[in-house]
Amino acid sequence: MAEIQVIRGTGQLTCLGLGSCIGLCGLDPVSNVAGMIHVMLPEAFQAKGEEKPGKFADTGVPALIEAMVRLGANQSRIAFAMAGGAQVFKFSANNESKLDIGTRNGAAVAAKLRELGFEIVAQDTGGNSGRTVIMTVETGIFTVRTVTSGEKTLCNLRG
Amino acid sequence: MMASEISLGLMELSVVRELTNIGLGHATTSLSEMTGRKFTISVPDVESLSLERIPELLGGCEAYAAGIYMPIEGDVTGHIAFLLPWPSVRSLWKMLLGTEPCDPSEITEMDASALLEIGNIINGSFLSAIADMTNLAMHSTPPYLAIEMSAAILDAIVVEASSKDHLALAIRTTITEAEGSLEGFFVYIPSIGGLRHLFASLGIAEAA
Repeated sequence: MAEIQVIRGTGQLTCLGLGSCIGLCGLDPVSNVAGMIHVMLPEAFQAKGEEKPGKFADTGVPALIEAMVRLGANQSRIAFAMAGGAQVFKFSANNESKLDIGTRNGAAVAAKLRELGFEIVAQDTGGNSGRTVIMTVETGIFTVRTVTSGEKTLCNLRG
Repeated sequence: MMASEISLGLMELSVVRELTNIGLGHATTSLSEMTGRKFTISVPDVESLSLERIPELLGGCEAYAAGIYMPIEGDVTGHIAFLLPWPSVRSLWKMLLGTEPCDPSEITEMDASALLEIGNIINGSFLSAIADMTNLAMHSTPPYLAIEMSAAILDAIVVEASSKDHLALAIRTTITEAEGSLEGFFVYIPSIGGLRHLFASLGIAEAA
């Protein structure tokens, strides 16, 4: 959680069991550099220098891009997809769940990407299901797995 | 994971264990009154388990589990959750309702509210035991229930808890009834200030 994973060449990136967090994945199909972050909250708190940047949408998105560029990605070629941001605590006594960080996480990641000039190829966010996301560098295929619907391909980051 | 693992000394651990035993004693009584059956709830061990290890104890990151979560308000703010692996959830339904959904997609309102009620009783008893012993105000708020991948439930709890710095404590719990027993995990995440408050009111210098 809150980690920034980057790989080059071949392999898979995964985030297991995302609840209200967002798994954001980027791929540069030419350099074969891929990266993933597990975003927990929309924005960094003030005066918290030692926090991992990957934890927050506003600091995590630029940190992911920077880590990918350092590994040889060309910023303008990175394609992004994301999943997560669910409200897993769907049952409550008064039928009105106030736990909506998931929705805010999804919106914050999307807003930060837009601000930096990126389009999101595909996203599977919101709802009530916990998700596992897997991206395979060789194929560019981004899959989302839930307990109720099994595994499905969300998109191909190689276009 | 953000909620770092709590590090308590033997003294603090035994205090927490004792508080838990008292709390669960209250819970046992309420549960038996509600259902007309005889339950015992025991605490084999209080471990300072890291939250990251809990999905593994619930059957794996992607295994189905149930979590009943409540934010705590008052003098000692924090978060409390009771987590059950899927086989335990089914046993609990069988004990309480006499029926059990085979598949998570068949869960009814009734099944969900039975779990919310149990979680409410167990979490609430734990809090009131601590509040009684320490004279600190701890108010439980209405519970939330998730029936999902275990890691996703933990993920959501940690996110709720991490707006401030917190420590986490996990307590393994066994609920026994004539028809069998089941295992669950209590997760208690007091705010750091709250924990200091708690130990201070018991006259114990804090280790962490």
